[in-house]
Amino acid sequence: MSTVGSSTLRVDGNAKVSGAAQYTADIELAGMLHAKALRSPHPHARLASIDVSKAAALPGVVAVVTRDDLEGMNPHYGAVVEDQPVLAMDRVRCVGDIVAAVAAEEREIAEEAIELIEVEYEPLPAVFDVVEAAQAGAPIIHEERFETQAAIFREQLNLNAGGNVCSVFRAADGDADAGFAEADEIFENTYRMPPVQHGHIEPHVATAVWESPSRLLVHTPCQNAVGLQEQLARIFNIPESGVRVVVPHVGGGYGGKTHARLEPVTALLARKAGRPVQWVLTREEVFLTGRRYGAFVRMKTGFKRDGTLVAREVEVFYDLGAYALSGPANAKTGSYVASGPYRVPNRRLTTYAVYTNLPPAGPYRGVGVPHVAWAYETEMDRIARHLGMDPVELRLKNLLQEGDVFVTGESLVSVGISDCLRQVASGIGWRGGEEQGNGAAEGSLRRGKGLAVIMKSTTTPTASAASVRLNGDGSVMLLTSSTEMGQGVRTCLAQIVAEQLGVPVERVTVSAPDTDVTPYDKSTSSSRTTFHMGNAALRAAEEVREQLLEAGAEALEVDKTDLEMFADGVRVKGVPDRSLTVPQLLRVKYGDSVGSIFGSCNFQVKGGLDPKTGKGKAAAFWFFSACGAEVEVDVETGKVRVLNVATSVDVGKAINPLQCGLQNEGSMLEALGAAFFEEMVFEQGQPVNGTLLEYMLPSMQDHPERFQSLLVENPHPDGPFGAKGVGEAVIPAVAPAIGNAVANALGGVNITELPLRPERIVAALAQGEAGGSGKNQP
Amino acid sequence: MRHLITANVNGRERELSVKSNQTLLEVLRDDLRLKGTREGCSVGVCGSCTVLVDGKPVSSCLMLASNAEGREVLTIEGLARDGTLDPVQQAFLDHQAFQCGFCTPGMIMAVKGLLNENSKPDEAEVRDYLSGNICRCGTYVEVMAAVADLSAKPE
Repeated sequence: MSTVGSSTLRVDGNAKVSGAAQYTADIELAGMLHAKALRSPHPHARLASIDVSKAAALPGVVAVVTRDDLEGMNPHYGAVVEDQPVLAMDRVRCVGDIVAAVAAEEREIAEEAIELIEVEYEPLPAVFDVVEAAQAGAPIIHEERFETQAAIFREQLNLNAGGNVCSVFRAADGDADAGFAEADEIFENTYRMPPVQHGHIEPHVATAVWESPSRLLVHTPCQNAVGLQEQLARIFNIPESGVRVVVPHVGGGYGGKTHARLEPVTALLARKAGRPVQWVLTREEVFLTGRRYGAFVRMKTGFKRDGTLVAREVEVFYDLGAYALSGPANAKTGSYVASGPYRVPNRRLTTYAVYTNLPPAGPYRGVGVPHVAWAYETEMDRIARHLGMDPVELRLKNLLQEGDVFVTGESLVSVGISDCLRQVASGIGWRGGEEQGNGAAEGSLRRGKGLAVIMKSTTTPTASAASVRLNGDGSVMLLTSSTEMGQGVRTCLAQIVAEQLGVPVERVTVSAPDTDVTPYDKSTSSSRTTFHMGNAALRAAEEVREQLLEAGAEALEVDKTDLEMFADGVRVKGVPDRSLTVPQLLRVKYGDSVGSIFGSCNFQVKGGLDPKTGKGKAAAFWFFSACGAEVEVDVETGKVRVLNVATSVDVGKAINPLQCGLQNEGSMLEALGAAFFEEMVFEQGQPVNGTLLEYMLPSMQDHPERFQSLLVENPHPDGPFGAKGVGEAVIPAVAPAIGNAVANALGGVNITELPLRPERIVAALAQGEAGGSGKNQP
Repeated sequence: MRHLITANVNGRERELSVKSNQTLLEVLRDDLRLKGTREGCSVGVCGSCTVLVDGKPVSSCLMLASNAEGREVLTIEGLARDGTLDPVQQAFLDHQAFQCGFCTPGMIMAVKGLLNENSKPDEAEVRDYLSGNICRCGTYVEVMAAVADLSAKPE
């Protein structure tokens, strides 16, 4: 292989360093207006009246929209449950719910108009804690539910569980009660993870214009152009072909731009105004628009004195906020891996997706997995410490192996997890049990090392389609709806197509998503693109290749199998001067050297789980990763220095090792922020730290002193060139590895609630394990 | 209220009519249509809108445009000369020191400012100086490598 496996430079590099790359907010359409929203100041209230007359009369205001403008539409939308109104209808369900919106000639006028809208609210009882919200008697947040349009979710989730529980998912193996009875010891603990921000530096933004009453054009940095097209078509009652979604350059997504967020309102304003409208959220609004689920985890583990896990019971409550988005699907993703990447013969795993009166969450890198990984990997170190075992040895003893049957009933393939663990152990210089005690002590400084391993599924079943177009000059275009958001998908897909056609990667251009042109894709999420779209691109390129070889065989009067591809066309193997260039091949095929050759593929992975049994095929492929960390804690101040972090992922095959490394570095740093300081704080549903002044993102100062991205390449039989996904593989392992390192530095004090703020560390040290609610119960 | 100011933007003297409350960022993006300078937080902490004013990095979201009177403003669009990238841009390409690219112009301008002040920064100085430029994609190791490469080159 020449291109695949090499660290080709990014195909979008020049545009990005020159400043020429156009992001959505850089687009200016003729006559474009600017939008601003009036948002609810209440976490839960009945919407008694809205008076927009003064706002509408302000010079420069072109359109004002409220619930009265939803007439004739399907006003509710949502990826899994259609529970979110385009604009608040009878009530608001969180601070930041959109009550009205204005489009005006200038941003300042729109802002002024918002101030003139008069709203009467009648506050309702609200609930913010996820466990309280799940109890009977909690204030009900959605009186009625709307069924999802997506059959896949209807068929594969348990929706309408009752009360504020939007969905529940269960997976089980063996007999948990018998397993606990058989155990030598049982640990029971609880863990908490707070909501955090995605932190994409480009805010949510959209530009919308109606070219006719049944033709909507939207520019948006969306990770899911086709899904948005479907949702907008349904909301506005027009055919999907009437909605064109174009995705310019995207300034980071990390899951935060997977679903419709502000596009429906922007489109509604544009329709009423009869002009293009652009809406760029302020950072404060981004904080009210999306976040990672907070979660509460209850975990009970039964094990033998030799360290063998025999039973595990896990219950997880994910806080969705006011609207579900893909929450039920993400909570399902957490359920079957809630006992970790371990052989556990008896287990009972349950996850609940629960509404609260907090601003809506949504998928964030790792979706439901970081929450359970934080719990089970902290728990593994506690068990190791209790048994006096090396944590690496304890893990290796219990880790899943190639061919094992998982809790979902499927056989696991491409299971490189033990190698990942060994790599990170070596990467941080792990020497064995001595890391379990106090590290090297100097004054108030204590050092510790820690490790963690995780597994995660990719969303299944799904489909991705691609077209490859070979032009008369031999250049190649890949048409795909996969979104480049920094993860390097254009470069990776260009490499796959170039490899298959035997052309230099520079000759391949990869499109941006444009639903008028690019075919279906489930979404750029779940780290599924290299595998799914990579397969589609590979097969589409293969179709082009076949046509070239057929034309060549006809013209050169040889058998197709005697031909090979070279950079400019086809040639007879071993006879380089018997060759035909692309223009010559076109002439053979079409009688002229103009035109293009198309190949296409709709790549589909079947599968899914039965929601009644939790059995089936959860994943087209599984991610396995590990993280190791070494820290130095000042026990007087609680300040932590991160000396070394090593991550390892089984990527199947690294299409571009450098870009794999960048994904792991990004995952590591996001998780490091969440491990030490990131936390969205709410008081009675009101954001307390909802700007980047109060909510810090990791800077270069926070980057570990040393970082290693290590890769395991355990080829997947179904992956393009053996590749799996990588984007979010590392993130769930990082916080528990850091937590275990800190615990070891503190002489064996585990903190159960993130983030590990200095005051929490100092308090934990003072009170033993009182930093969290957890208490070992042998 | 509007003010008439004169400023040198990317090597060209410009006469600009700016509002009292208009930020330099707004003038660059909305009036001069220099869209490479980007808004991320609007409170001067993310660094995406960094430009050089008289050679020093400034968060253009915090600077009033009227304060640019008589000063030299350099944005990402003013770096390349005759189609050749600036050495900092080239080093970012060589080291793949970006992913989504949204913060990249601001980061590149901050590196320009750093090297203007200190042509041989050590790692601690680089980390300190660039800590006001947030890359959520987390591509910091590569930025540090790009700066190390630039500072190793003979002047």
